[in-house]
Amino acid sequence: MVCVRKATMDDLLAMQACNLLCLPENYQMKYYFYHILSWPHLLYVAEDYNGRIVGYVLAKMEEESNECHGHITSLAVLRTHRKLGLATKLMKAAQTAMEQVFGAEYVSLHVRKSNRAAFNLYTETLGYKIHDVEAKYYADGEDAYDMRKQLKGKQSHHHGHHHHHHGGGCCSADARPVEAQPESKSEAKAST
Amino acid sequence: MGASLPPKEANLFKLIVKSYESKQYKKGLKAADAILKKFPDHGETLSMKGLTLNCMDRKSEAYDLVRLGLKNDLKSHVCWHVYGLLYRSDREYREAIKCYRNALRIDPDNIEILRDLSLLQAQMRDLTGFVETRQQLLSLKPNHRMNWIGFAVAHHLNSNCSKAVEILEAYEGTLEDDYPPDNERCEHGEMLLYKISLLEECSSLERALEELHKKESKIVDKLSLKEQEVSLLVKLGRLEEGAELYKALLSINPDNYRYCEGLQRCVGLYSENGLSSSDIDQLDALYKSLGQQYTWSSAVKRIPLDFLQGDKFREAADYYIRPLLTKGVPSLFSDLSPLYDHPGKADILEKLILELENSLRISGGYPGRSEKEPPSTLMWTLFLLAQHYDRRGQYDVALSKIDEAIEHTPTVIDLYSVKSRILKHAGDLAAAASLADEARCMDLADRYINSECVKRMLQADQVVLAEKTALLFTKDGDQHNNLHDMQCMWYELASGESYFRQGDLGRALKKFLAVEKHYADITEDQFDFHSYCLRKMTLRAYVEMLKFQDRLHSHAYFRKAAAGAISLSQNAAYMLSFSYACAAQTFSILASLSHIFHVLLLGLETWAKLTEYGTIKSYSLPLSGASCICLMDVSMSIAEVRNEESSASGVSKLGKRHVKPVDPDPNGEKLLQVEDPLLEATKYLKLLQKHSPDSLETHLLSFEVNMRRKKILLALQAVKQLLRLDAESADSHRCLVRFFHKVGTMTSPVTDTEKLVWSVLEAERPLISQLREKSLTEANMIFFEKHEDSLMHRAAVAEMLSVLEPNKKLEAVKLIEDSTNNPAPINEALGAVNEWKLKDCIAVHKLLVAVLNDPDAALRWKLRCAQYFPCSTYFEGKCSSAASNSVHAQIAKNPENGGASHSDGGEIADFVESNGKMEAFKDLNI
Repeated sequence: MVCVRKATMDDLLAMQACNLLCLPENYQMKYYFYHILSWPHLLYVAEDYNGRIVGYVLAKMEEESNECHGHITSLAVLRTHRKLGLATKLMKAAQTAMEQVFGAEYVSLHVRKSNRAAFNLYTETLGYKIHDVEAKYYADGEDAYDMRKQLKGKQSHHHGHHHHHHGGGCCSADARPVEAQPESKSEAKAST
Repeated sequence: MGASLPPKEANLFKLIVKSYESKQYKKGLKAADAILKKFPDHGETLSMKGLTLNCMDRKSEAYDLVRLGLKNDLKSHVCWHVYGLLYRSDREYREAIKCYRNALRIDPDNIEILRDLSLLQAQMRDLTGFVETRQQLLSLKPNHRMNWIGFAVAHHLNSNCSKAVEILEAYEGTLEDDYPPDNERCEHGEMLLYKISLLEECSSLERALEELHKKESKIVDKLSLKEQEVSLLVKLGRLEEGAELYKALLSINPDNYRYCEGLQRCVGLYSENGLSSSDIDQLDALYKSLGQQYTWSSAVKRIPLDFLQGDKFREAADYYIRPLLTKGVPSLFSDLSPLYDHPGKADILEKLILELENSLRISGGYPGRSEKEPPSTLMWTLFLLAQHYDRRGQYDVALSKIDEAIEHTPTVIDLYSVKSRILKHAGDLAAAASLADEARCMDLADRYINSECVKRMLQADQVVLAEKTALLFTKDGDQHNNLHDMQCMWYELASGESYFRQGDLGRALKKFLAVEKHYADITEDQFDFHSYCLRKMTLRAYVEMLKFQDRLHSHAYFRKAAAGAISLSQNAAYMLSFSYACAAQTFSILASLSHIFHVLLLGLETWAKLTEYGTIKSYSLPLSGASCICLMDVSMSIAEVRNEESSASGVSKLGKRHVKPVDPDPNGEKLLQVEDPLLEATKYLKLLQKHSPDSLETHLLSFEVNMRRKKILLALQAVKQLLRLDAESADSHRCLVRFFHKVGTMTSPVTDTEKLVWSVLEAERPLISQLREKSLTEANMIFFEKHEDSLMHRAAVAEMLSVLEPNKKLEAVKLIEDSTNNPAPINEALGAVNEWKLKDCIAVHKLLVAVLNDPDAALRWKLRCAQYFPCSTYFEGKCSSAASNSVHAQIAKNPENGGASHSDGGEIADFVESNGKMEAFKDLNI
């Protein structure tokens, strides 16, 4: 029914359009560029049989914290395309890449307290747990759950088990384009 | 830097630079002033002060100071560099490059300036320059990884892949054997993948594969590694290995259609033009085995519906559809819809779904099954059927199915969304909007149904209501700017198109230009990434991004916005020439067109107001009774917009407001006041010609603009392009005939240029096969005979007949009225459905009114079409909300809907589609 694949450059405009249709938290194109040019492995789209982008996941690696971990910036599936398990497929693809490419130890995300559908997806289907509550995280004043899911973590290729090292090491990057990262708060929402 | 200053001031100068870099502008300014107190003419300080002020929004002072600084110290590379930075901040890259070059003349090995220059060269795609600069940087600092990479990428961009590979290998030669350390594994792996992709690009396939295997352990991104490997294997013809690898990829992600397609290619079961029946059997078997392996994959279940035929198709479709109906998957129809383009499949699907429906009604279960289905299965079956009939143009059946579904379960929002879409297709935009609004109210927290509702409202020209509705999902209450800031292009386009339909050219242009601006910003966005990606090593993504940017303007939203702006400029130009002819005359022309009473009704006062708003401009175009009535609607909606604005600019309900710069031209009036709108149009046209040369629409627009500008040869070019793309299109035919008719009425050439043009035309005409040894009238009739079954082709022929022989208007009208709305032949993709499209019928009506000028015929046409499209408000069909006794009329009469009843099928979208009819131009005959 729907093709789930890594996002390409040509998908970005459609991802932005999909985000604007579905979610209240929106981003300028540059933020999408920033993601795909930093972590091209972590962006996935769901493309329907007519070639339309009907869902996406936009994710990143947190590079400042000392524990290497991934973060879901935004997840959306068009209302018309729910009940296909797309959100789950997209999330799993991004999580796998975080783990395999970057050796992420865990993945985090924010979700509106009121968004039961998304909350259920994260806890029941995907195994996330509430880590914290961030008061007034959203622009409209709503609180967010800060949720986390433990990943297996990557084993270092050369030296067996190294818990202190980051397996991947892309978390060490100092590079960041000027103003490429806006202040916008991220949001994850699943329209299941 | 800061040379020739005493130590104290030299330190202060360093402080300015540091403050600039750390964005502490006030501090920098203070230091600059301290130096200038003692050395008021110090060039570099003046420059730096200017640069600092530039960041504090004091642009004109900045330029003055920077220029003064430079004048005082022409030999300073700092002053030139600063001047370049200033230009760069204003996106004046060409000027900036010149400044950097001057700076480098003075200080040729200045790494900072070289780096800045290289960024601009990448941005401007000055690729030879880019290569040179990167080479210089590498020779100055060969111990920097980034300089090796930058040099390689420069060569790649400059189409020298093998050189790029050489450089990367030379770079690898500088590395230790145990490279990379743990914290650089990702970057290094990316570099290796980039190198392998370069090898592939320059067709060194064996080497690429060899390299891939050799470096496998150092490549962290295993998925890309596999995808790269399979691509190489396929190109090398090692298909068996390729098939195995595709299977491995499918086990990672069985929902990736591209893997399925790749596998098919590897096993020799892929063809664009259909497969033999034995191939189909093999393919069927392949997917059956895949289906057993990847039970959770939806791809392997769906794909066989594409290649199976007849009974096998029926069987597979049945098997595919049932569980999805039971589950209630709302996207089932959209998933099946591509099959409607396959001959015969729509008929099979119809029979199949009707059987399911029938069985569910009678036994509560699927045919041949004893288990009962849950009640919702019938509802989803009706839902699917409604969309099926909608797709086939049988709107009455579609509506009855969806109504039954709603009656069955009134709480399912999707049902209302689909009903809204059916009503839109059936031609009742106002009723579609109110249904979408009903759906929206059922879940106020869901932005998707809000967006859908806003879209329907804009289609129904309820701009005010649409804005209000969109506002519900924007943060600071300042919806307009927020949607704009977030680059919400679909909204801006739809809103612009609505304004255009309503004749509010100023606001329409504003919206179209807003979309253009987003594209300019997106182009600009790449700037920061030129250096970022070299550090991050995401080189494959970076090069992809540059290529994407190079074709950015071929994107659909840009095409639509540009097409809108061009059409609009033409209307504006038309009106400009009109207004020169003086308003009184305009008025009398309008009034004389047998609609005098309508115009008088408006009264001079309204007239003046409309003129003030610029709306009158396009309204003098469609000179029909209907449009005069529209004119009144528009004046009402303008008043509403105005009220809306005054309340919005007052004290906000939220109390707190962002201070945003006031838009000095909220209605786009100033935008419209350009000297030569057609020149503006040309600007966008050039972008379309460059980026969308294979779109019919591009050349239709080019034809209109150039005819209007009297650029005969450019118009001829457009005609030739149209014939190249689709000589059988009604629009191409129209342009061809109009062009040579126009040329035929020109006076004989006098000037040398005219003679030259003439000679080109004489040489070109015989090359056009349609006109070889034929008169235009003959060519028109031949075209007619070829396409006499098509309404739109007949309409084009009729229109051209009236152009060529104005005294044959009656004959032209007869050509149109003699058209028959046949059922489309059975076994065609769509089965037994009447052929005519609502959109086309509306276009024909407008032709009868405005061009053929036959009100009686237009009325007859309208009554006839009201039969075919009973829901159409345009034709005032008996079921439409325009008819007072209709079901939908009640809902549609929402007092807030200012101008809601103006529902006009002729959208700008019509321009955009390749078979667009360009209605707005009908009146612009030259």
